[in-house]
Amino acid sequence: MKRWLAAVLAASLCGCTAVAPYQRGYLARDDMAFDPSPGTARALEKTYSAKEAASGGASVGGGGCGCN
Amino acid sequence: MTAALALPIAAIPARVLAAEANEVGFTVLGYKEKGLMKVTEPVLWARGTIHEVWEVEASAAVDIISGASPQVVTNVSGRPVNAVSAASITDRRDTADAKVTRRFGDFAVSASRTVSDENDYNSRAFGLGAEWSLNQRNTTLAAGYGKSNDRVGSRDDPTLHERRDTKEYLLGVTQVLSPLDIVQSTITRAQGRGWYNDPYKLTFTFFESGIPLLLSDTRPDHRDTLAWLTRYRRHFPAAHGSLQVDYRYYRDDWGIRAHTLEAAWEQSFGERWSVRPALRYYTQSAADFYSPVSPASPPPAILSSDQRLGAWGGLSPSIRAAYRFERGLRIEGTLGYVHNARDLRFGGSGSEAFETLRAVYGIVGVSYPF
Repeated sequence: MKRWLAAVLAASLCGCTAVAPYQRGYLARDDMAFDPSPGTARALEKTYSAKEAASGGASVGGGGCGCN
Repeated sequence: MTAALALPIAAIPARVLAAEANEVGFTVLGYKEKGLMKVTEPVLWARGTIHEVWEVEASAAVDIISGASPQVVTNVSGRPVNAVSAASITDRRDTADAKVTRRFGDFAVSASRTVSDENDYNSRAFGLGAEWSLNQRNTTLAAGYGKSNDRVGSRDDPTLHERRDTKEYLLGVTQVLSPLDIVQSTITRAQGRGWYNDPYKLTFTFFESGIPLLLSDTRPDHRDTLAWLTRYRRHFPAAHGSLQVDYRYYRDDWGIRAHTLEAAWEQSFGERWSVRPALRYYTQSAADFYSPVSPASPPPAILSSDQRLGAWGGLSPSIRAAYRFERGLRIEGTLGYVHNARDLRFGGSGSEAFETLRAVYGIVGVSYPF
């Protein structure tokens, strides 16, 4: 875990040119967001996680469900 | 099988420029399996900023589930098959959550709370998070801790009152790579202790000789998981579109290894329309204690024939369209198809008894900034 964190930090802090705030117009687009709207994101999570063994990855504290 | 439902709006930064507009939305999910379950889920959500340093997010949802569910795996016909429940079930889950974030310049702390209630399952969870932006906010580090306390019951057994407690830990980084692309990678570790048996699943095994064996679903009393999610977004200005790629690796101490890969292209048409075709692929190995039939007596102490713990793969194409009106009102619709089968498992050799699941879903949502 510590080696992963160090590798990620190193990769993120070196070799990447800093992008100034005025250059981030494209990054603020709706299609550049990591999640769709909260309602759609929740619906998609429900659809797949109820049938798959795998879950999680993006957040914590979401609680569980019966999902029988 | 129970699944921890991650709270989407409690995630680490969903976009580079943190949500600054106030927004309210309503979404409805309709999901239908061929011959099995049907789910309807309306969701009401809202998020907003107060005095530029406080952010509040909240949502409430109702899951309405009806239809048949695979209940018994039996080899009475000679090979193991899923037998669905004789009567159609109806179930309802009410859930609500809220998250508050306080920003201190490049640093932010958050707290969240989730409650969920069903006839046979209650969950109470909280989350704590911290974010630190550096390198002119090109890099954001995130850490999180969550805990859920669940209570498991059964519609069929009023005496069943068991508990399950889970602790979760998250580390993540979001990195702006260029004015056109960005990547986010998070690792989540969960440690669960308590009751994991599915009270409605049975395994009914017939042998060449002797008495058949009827076993209740029995699973370990612990589950430690690790999920590593990496998401990449790149915009192509000349094409007026963006590439979206997500990959998740999952493993747990039940022996399950899973991979999820989704690729999408979101095409803009002018300032208002967008269309997003996507393809999601999922593959998993079987749990160590998964078996559609029981070995001859004595039976193993731990065994489950729930095919969601078997080895299989799935393909899910979807398409989403969105339209933003002049005053900000946004309407979004998604249509998707789910096809899970044993021969879709990566590398082949899916579980013999896995029965193909086919389902369609539709999601319609409207949101309004204010």
